[in-house]
Amino acid sequence: MMYPTLSHASPLAPLPRLPGDEWGTQVQLFEEIFLVFLALGTIVGIVVVSYTLYNAYKYRDRGEETGEYDRPVLGELPTGEGGGRKLFLSFFLSAVIVISLVAWTYGALLYVEAGPSEQGTDENLDVDVVGFQFGWEFEYPNGHTETNELRVPADRVVTLTITSTDVWHNFGIPDLRVKADAIPGQTSETWFLAEEPGEHVAWCFELCGVGHSDMVADVIVMEPDEFEEWYEDPEAYENDEEADEDDVEEGEEAADEAADDEEDADDETETVAGAVVAR
Amino acid sequence: MSDLPPASSVKRWLVTTNHKDVGVLYLLTALFFLLLGGVLALLIRMQLWVPGPSILSGRAYNEAVTTHGLLMVFWFLSPFAFGFANYVVPLQIGAKDLAFPRLNALSYWLYLFSGLLMMVSFFQGGTYDAGWTMYAPLNIPEYSPMVGGTTAVLALLMFVVSVTMGTVNFLVTIHYGKAEGMGMWNIPLFTWSILLTVWMMLFAFAALLGALLLLGSDRIIGTLYFTATGTEDSSLLWAHLFWFFGHPEVYIVFFPALGVMLEIFQTFSGRRLVGRKWVILAMILIAVQSFLVWMHHMFLTNINLEIKTIMMATTIGISLPFDLIVFALIYTLVKGRVQFTTPFLFSLGALLLFILGGITGVFLGAVVLDYEFRGTYWVVAHFHYVMFGGATALFGALYYWYPKMTGRMYDEFLGKLHFGTFFVGFNLLYFPLFLAWETPRRVFEYNVELITWHQLATIGGFIVAASFLIMFYNLYVSYWNGEPAGANPWEFSRTAEWAIDSPPPLENWPGRASYADGSLSFIETPSTTHAADGGQVAEPGVVEEFLEVHEPTETEAVHDEPHEDHASIWPFGIGVGLFVLFLGLSGLHGAELQGPHYLAAIAVGVGLSGYALLGFGFEQFHAPEAAIAERWPFEGIGKTKLGVWFFLASDVVVFGAVIGAFIFIRAGMGWGAWETVPPDPLPGLVNTFVLLTSSFTVILALVAAERKSKRGLLGALGATFVLGLTFLGIKAWEWSYEFSIGIYPQTSIEASVYYVTTGLHGLHVVLGMLIAGFMLYRIYSVDAYLEDHRPVEFFGLYWHFVDIVWVFLFPLFYLM
Repeated sequence: MMYPTLSHASPLAPLPRLPGDEWGTQVQLFEEIFLVFLALGTIVGIVVVSYTLYNAYKYRDRGEETGEYDRPVLGELPTGEGGGRKLFLSFFLSAVIVISLVAWTYGALLYVEAGPSEQGTDENLDVDVVGFQFGWEFEYPNGHTETNELRVPADRVVTLTITSTDVWHNFGIPDLRVKADAIPGQTSETWFLAEEPGEHVAWCFELCGVGHSDMVADVIVMEPDEFEEWYEDPEAYENDEEADEDDVEEGEEAADEAADDEEDADDETETVAGAVVAR
Repeated sequence: MSDLPPASSVKRWLVTTNHKDVGVLYLLTALFFLLLGGVLALLIRMQLWVPGPSILSGRAYNEAVTTHGLLMVFWFLSPFAFGFANYVVPLQIGAKDLAFPRLNALSYWLYLFSGLLMMVSFFQGGTYDAGWTMYAPLNIPEYSPMVGGTTAVLALLMFVVSVTMGTVNFLVTIHYGKAEGMGMWNIPLFTWSILLTVWMMLFAFAALLGALLLLGSDRIIGTLYFTATGTEDSSLLWAHLFWFFGHPEVYIVFFPALGVMLEIFQTFSGRRLVGRKWVILAMILIAVQSFLVWMHHMFLTNINLEIKTIMMATTIGISLPFDLIVFALIYTLVKGRVQFTTPFLFSLGALLLFILGGITGVFLGAVVLDYEFRGTYWVVAHFHYVMFGGATALFGALYYWYPKMTGRMYDEFLGKLHFGTFFVGFNLLYFPLFLAWETPRRVFEYNVELITWHQLATIGGFIVAASFLIMFYNLYVSYWNGEPAGANPWEFSRTAEWAIDSPPPLENWPGRASYADGSLSFIETPSTTHAADGGQVAEPGVVEEFLEVHEPTETEAVHDEPHEDHASIWPFGIGVGLFVLFLGLSGLHGAELQGPHYLAAIAVGVGLSGYALLGFGFEQFHAPEAAIAERWPFEGIGKTKLGVWFFLASDVVVFGAVIGAFIFIRAGMGWGAWETVPPDPLPGLVNTFVLLTSSFTVILALVAAERKSKRGLLGALGATFVLGLTFLGIKAWEWSYEFSIGIYPQTSIEASVYYVTTGLHGLHVVLGMLIAGFMLYRIYSVDAYLEDHRPVEFFGLYWHFVDIVWVFLFPLFYLM
């Protein structure tokens, strides 16, 4: 249970949780931390840059000495100027900001690292992800495999065990803030939780050869019930797809993509990727 | 030995060993590779104008991305910085040249020819395409099959050899050649930054050399180091080796730019650096710590949480000294008289860009954020702000020292126009990439919502490119028509290069530079007021107030050398020879000869480089060396010996990387699961005795040389040579026996490691014997080393080192 320590460690607001859910998603966690970094980074950046420009302008050369200064002369042995106190004060301040920021995120790191697996819950869906030149294979606990299409239920933790059969890849779904290296001979683990049904794209984030740019997979987050239906018998589900899509349209917000899917439903991979990736 | 022709002659530029000439050659060559890498960058940006394939195929895009990275990092950034280092460092410390001028010329020629080799690789069915990080196993021929890929790896290998020689040279120069009165704390900051850069280079590039030797052997001989498919052993081996080099490399390319900023901020604010000692200490801390952060490039691999935590802490730790340096720069402006000249604008711009790069780097230091940023344009934008932002200061350096190098002022208006265009273009190019950060790296497909940012970046890219046209125009026109600059065009400069004419005469100044009385003076002795051979008479160039004439002290009288050389054709010859040889080696790609012309190239290359090396060895060359200089902490050790020590230190790291790779793979497999390759330890045992005996005979040789006994020296060194031959003979017999029972380097990972590691040692033995053979010939023919026995001692150092390595290899490969 790492999450509570996070709020103790944090000098700022604790990370949000899902209402009624013990864990925050990686999306929330990332947005929160990123926002804080962005805000502080922008402030620090503006202050430091302005201060630099202000001094450069204020002390611009006016062609004459305005006071008694000991300017450097050619041939002197290089030495420094005083002013160490101010230097150390600023240094100390910046160090405090940086260290406390990163220390604050460390709690979140422990949380992400420990992941929901530490809970030992059976509720998690475990999927094996195998990268290859140039695509992704997903294997479910019941032995079912899919290529370039990952279907997961909404609102349920999905744990990924990732490897590769040939070269180094990196599996990442930017929308869901999940990413891990796919290294031949080794496995990496990560997890994510998608709150809402919807469609996302997984990319390869490590240069892996000529087809690297095209190495995309669709990630389809389904209603839990619907997912169960698919999971029980994927083949039957696919055959029955048109009917399902009607359900989706009735039950959910009618997505334009779904309409497109109906037109050429036989090659869904291309269509979904095509909806996001303009060619 | 030959005289140096005038600067208008082409021959001059082929034979020169003078640090200023070599510096100019470095600068021009680096700018050429900037153009080449820049064109590739524009191709990338054009491909990204809209998502999806357009002007480049998948492979061509990968080649562009890869070679853009390699060219900019290796063939532009560091060599550009070292152009300035070559020109300025000896001037700043009061030396007449680098410690080993011919070696310096050789470094340059190997750099140039390695770059040419890189260019040739494009025409061998495609160049290397697996990213500048060269991750395994994408880097082996199975996945990266083009012959040009092998050539690119060899080009990098050659480049690293050049860097290693340059490193040793600069270390000795700075530690050994500072003017009297200039202690470590008084070294000008640009020189300080170069000193720390070369210290990092000495170890970091040695690790890269080790990694490239393994990769080269995988690509050429077909060994199995990075064929990690399906095993756990070596899949992270490359990443560890590469990033152990790769992270220090970030500071290696940044430090010279930092040194330039420190120098230019002082000159154009009319202030001395605030907190100077602390800045120096901060830089030392960074240099040391840079070797302890490399795994932050691997946060998403399965390295465990404890290691991630340590690496996170060291990473954050290394960012803090930079904060101090940045604040020191800012506070130096306060109470100054800031002159907004072109060099200052570029340095100020570099500082601002670096601040932005630094802040966005803190994001990456937080591991949870790094998880999401990994492999995205956040990283791309960040490191361009840091590395190219740093290079911004180097363009400032170009304007800063341009009057010194050419004797003419650049056009200030065009300079400022260059800066304005560049700075706007830079931010238009890279800032949108932060906004489009979700784009995966090295991919030309992206979310179409991000298209505006990518198109802005492309426009920015072309603006940056255009700004360089202004620079080239300015520098070209000013070279012919610029105002004469005089010795010192800057009001508040203070380092020694500004106390002599622009451009400085061949030997920089009459007599020797000295800070003994607290400020610079050039101390002439009546005997040194002759004209340097082939050069100009030095006196007219010196700012007169610094000139002193006095009678020679005893030390000077002894060391007074009547003749100093500045020309040798052999470095160029060795460069050509190795270029042909390496080109030939690329034809062995994948253990299959790609054509007979490659074989011919190998033969010609060996012949040429052998001939040139002999010429190099036989040439009498007197390098300028100051009789009186600050040498702490190496007062008690000779110049060449110090160089040998530095070289051996880097060689220790090369062997460390190669032996470390063995231990890494073996530990990954399970220590006991490793099968010992040699069927019988006996030949290895005999060879151990042979080598240990040869160490003893080398000592006897030194004793004989000290006693001036030619026969004794010939006998003992001859015995060493024979023992070396015996070692190689036994090794040859052993290997041929192993081949006969079907154990080849390609047979198994164990065999690969065995052959490569002991083979690398064998190459060291061969090199040692070539040197010993050369020395024997010289003793026999011209009674060499009897008057000055130091070369025998240097050879002995090397030979002992090679023997010690074997003492480690024997138990590792035969007994365990």
